[in-house]
Amino acid sequence: MSETSEKISGRMREGIEQIRGVDFDERARAILSQEPLLSAQEVEVTFSLRGNKLTAIRRTSLDLYEGETLAIVGESGSGKSVFAKCFVGMLDKNGSITHGSIMYDGQDLTKLTEKEWLKIRGRKIAMVTQDPMTSLNPLKTVGWQIQEAVELHQGLKGKAAKEETLRILEAVGIPDPARRYRQYPHEFSGGMRQRVVIATAVACKPQILICDEPTTALDVTIQAQILDLIRRLQKEQNMTIIYITHDLGVVANVADRVAVMYAGQIIEVGMCNEVFFDPWHPYTWALLQALPQLGVKGEKLPAIDGTPPNLFNEIHGDAFAPRNRHALNIDFLEEPPMYEVTSTHMVKAWLRDPRAPKVEQPTAIARLAEEKEEKGTDPKAWHPHLDPNREILVEVRNMQVTFGSGRHKFVAVDDVNFEIYKGETFSLVGESGSGKTTIGRAIVRINPITGGEVLFKGERISGKISKELDTKVIRSMQMIFQDPMASLNERAKVDYIVSEGLMNFHLYENEHDRQDKVQAALKEVGLLPEFSSRFPHEFSGGQRQRIGIARSLIMQPEFIVADEPISALDVSIRAQVLNLLNDMKKKRGLTYLFIAHDLSVVRFISDRIAVIHKGRIVELAEAEELFFRPMHPYTRALLSAVPNPNPYLERTKNLLVYDPSIHDYSSDKPVWCELLPGHFVYGNERELDGYRKEFSL
Amino acid sequence: MAKERKKTVQELEAPVVNLKADKGAVEADNKSERPRGREYPKSRNTMQEKQLFEFAEYKAQEAEKIGYSNYSYWKSVWANFIKNRPALIMSVIFILLFIFTFVASAIGKYTIDMAPDPLNRAFIEPNGEYWFGTNAIGQDYWAQVWYATRASILLAVLVSLGQILAGVIIGLVWGYVRKLDRFFTELYNLIDNIPTIIYMTLIALMVGKSMVTMGITMVAFGWLATARNVRNLVFMYRDREYNLASRCLGTGLWRILFRNIFPYLISVIILRMALAIPSTIAYETTLTYLGLMDITKPSLGMLLSAARAIFPRASYTLLFPAIIVSIITITFYLVGNAFSDACDPRNHV
Repeated sequence: MSETSEKISGRMREGIEQIRGVDFDERARAILSQEPLLSAQEVEVTFSLRGNKLTAIRRTSLDLYEGETLAIVGESGSGKSVFAKCFVGMLDKNGSITHGSIMYDGQDLTKLTEKEWLKIRGRKIAMVTQDPMTSLNPLKTVGWQIQEAVELHQGLKGKAAKEETLRILEAVGIPDPARRYRQYPHEFSGGMRQRVVIATAVACKPQILICDEPTTALDVTIQAQILDLIRRLQKEQNMTIIYITHDLGVVANVADRVAVMYAGQIIEVGMCNEVFFDPWHPYTWALLQALPQLGVKGEKLPAIDGTPPNLFNEIHGDAFAPRNRHALNIDFLEEPPMYEVTSTHMVKAWLRDPRAPKVEQPTAIARLAEEKEEKGTDPKAWHPHLDPNREILVEVRNMQVTFGSGRHKFVAVDDVNFEIYKGETFSLVGESGSGKTTIGRAIVRINPITGGEVLFKGERISGKISKELDTKVIRSMQMIFQDPMASLNERAKVDYIVSEGLMNFHLYENEHDRQDKVQAALKEVGLLPEFSSRFPHEFSGGQRQRIGIARSLIMQPEFIVADEPISALDVSIRAQVLNLLNDMKKKRGLTYLFIAHDLSVVRFISDRIAVIHKGRIVELAEAEELFFRPMHPYTRALLSAVPNPNPYLERTKNLLVYDPSIHDYSSDKPVWCELLPGHFVYGNERELDGYRKEFSL
Repeated sequence: MAKERKKTVQELEAPVVNLKADKGAVEADNKSERPRGREYPKSRNTMQEKQLFEFAEYKAQEAEKIGYSNYSYWKSVWANFIKNRPALIMSVIFILLFIFTFVASAIGKYTIDMAPDPLNRAFIEPNGEYWFGTNAIGQDYWAQVWYATRASILLAVLVSLGQILAGVIIGLVWGYVRKLDRFFTELYNLIDNIPTIIYMTLIALMVGKSMVTMGITMVAFGWLATARNVRNLVFMYRDREYNLASRCLGTGLWRILFRNIFPYLISVIILRMALAIPSTIAYETTLTYLGLMDITKPSLGMLLSAARAIFPRASYTLLFPAIIVSIITITFYLVGNAFSDACDPRNHV
């Protein structure tokens, strides 16, 4: 324990105890001194799917201590949600706990009947799920739904129940609770809705609160607020929290203890600082290394190859072995036992065996422990806008996109201007609904634009254009889509999907030539050529995304719009796709318009970044410059909310909230102004003067 | 147990293709101190304890391996379909029935052209001479029934095929091309607001009564429901990302319709088609009742319509065609449901 803590520089530790942070050593002592509140031993969960048996949880154990926040991290399919659902008796009908016990309050939860569950579920152990819309009843008012829980579990009636409901609404940070009490879920924004769900869960004052990816569907700024809320409620009600997530930034923010899950087993568990700064399972290493925050720009991220194992098959040895670059022979034969690193830190890896060769932790892990201020350095990289030989590839002039008409008219994109230079990665960052996808789609002409124009190599490509230009534009401009599950035709073989573009323009000599091209394209994105005869549903998310990229690359495009290409992927797989995009950029001199909401990814991949808010670009600068000198208050709020995988920095970060009403544009009209070479910001004269003064320009 | 385990480990090892692109793998191969041949350790017995804790070779190819293999869409459809026993048994019965209609006409003692003799031969109960008895005008009912069955099945299959074909093509275009939505919707309203029976009567009076005319008319007005159903389904798939991707790749309208959207509708289309067959036979019965069919050539509808009038006197005249119609209806209902379930890839694993 103490050894781990020494790795962290003294200065960083000072700030910790002051704000939200935690002294992990003290927490560890507290945990060691008490009996577990809930203890799951050797739990095995199997599902039967059309006669096949799927083992989702493979005999794994976990203790939960009173008052702690335990984060369970894992990729999709690792069984983290299933595991947590066992604690509330909410497994799907076709699943059952086939082995082990879960001891809580002197009883074994695995043996409870549905009637006995009613006394525990909600009252003692409550759950908050990912999508707030599906956990609320759209036909009942928000107040009614919370009051129902209050009446049922706290035994209050009538006026008292209503008062309690209003108190809870206020406690979860909903302004004007009396009015909100009467509103329906659809009148709430995503973040507010999640607050309501949390309100219904804490209404019964549970002892344990399980949060299953509560912020995954939310924007980063809202996410930070919800995390703060949960932390506050925990302190007020002295709850124990299990936090299920795939996002290591969230873990760093909330967790006292972390359990890493892979293929239905907990493979490493320890105090938050131990798992982040002194991990010992190769999978944990790989997860941390694959984070773009720890990557060095221009270099490859250390990605994890392949996909998690198929849990329909029996797994021998360590499930991670085939993807593990540090695998020992024994990893393929026998399942490793849990080794103790410290009294609170356990690792399920043969590498910890005394007989195993000594291995150093990867350097990226050490980089995480180093003090790394999220301030950015003065940029020394390529400056596309200063390059005298720059060539404008795509130009967007006064673009406006509206949907609907008349009274229902909605302006999605308003007066957007930017240029994309050949060979650069230009990123558009914004929250959901900001119009960034609409801009991307308007450029590739899926959505028509209602105002302005788009130029490609100096030629207008928006509106009506000639047939030849149309063909040329299609061949040189391609798009990569967000959701790899939705962007491939499920009923066609990979062969057809990849060669669709070739067939449209007959870009091959004969059938043999076409197949060669498809196989070359698959190889290029790191897939096996024999995959061409398979159907998309046989592939994992990362592989599907690479099929989508192969489909675009086969057209030999010059410009690619990548619409959130990694946000639907698991952490371990994101790095594969990012590496591939960077490789292709180098190899083929591609230009990207990269659309994303995650600033850490954007910083790693882009040359220039434009920040968009409500359909308007508010700031545009080179990547490092933007992190170094963010000007617009929205950019600052966005930057302050970026999750950091270093628990100490993450907990001490100063969260800014952007309130659009600070702008007074009534008399002083805002303009799009270049304050520094290549650094544009949207604001009125007074604001611009403020920025000039602040950065002494 | 140990033996069994050994076998499964070996099964796990798929042949590995050596890709030149995979630099790491090639380098690993060149290193002589590592065991050649890319194999995982097979069992503990073959290894010293020291070896157990040595690094195993890393194979990027193995990591890329995927879950399922040798998947074929239509094979899975078939495998799922034959799991549904009632549907399978009924479809076998139906096929035998259809083949028997030819055999029955061949082995029957009389043909449908048998001269009527209402005085001597009317309403003879089934016996050795007249296997299904005789009808009201003294013709052999066996010949009548089987001829009618064959004719009705052919008509029903052709009509429903025609309806589905027209309905699907129009429905796809109607749903996908936004500009045509208004036109087709108005056309639909125009045709659908007047009962089909009125069109049928007019056409029968103007063109004449025959099975072919009626068949064509049924197709001409029967596509409406299918088209509307298909259109609503197309709406669901039209703006999915994979269709946007196809548009980015410059894929034309018809290829998008038939490669991207049509396959998703197969299960619904098959269900509609299966249900259209019994309903065509029922429709034909109505038309006969209204006197809009050619009565010289027997059909199941015609037999049923005639039998209804004389049912109390000669119940067998109703019984035989009714059994056959029931078989057809039940078969297509079961087969349609079973096949549309089998076509849904969510039911394949």
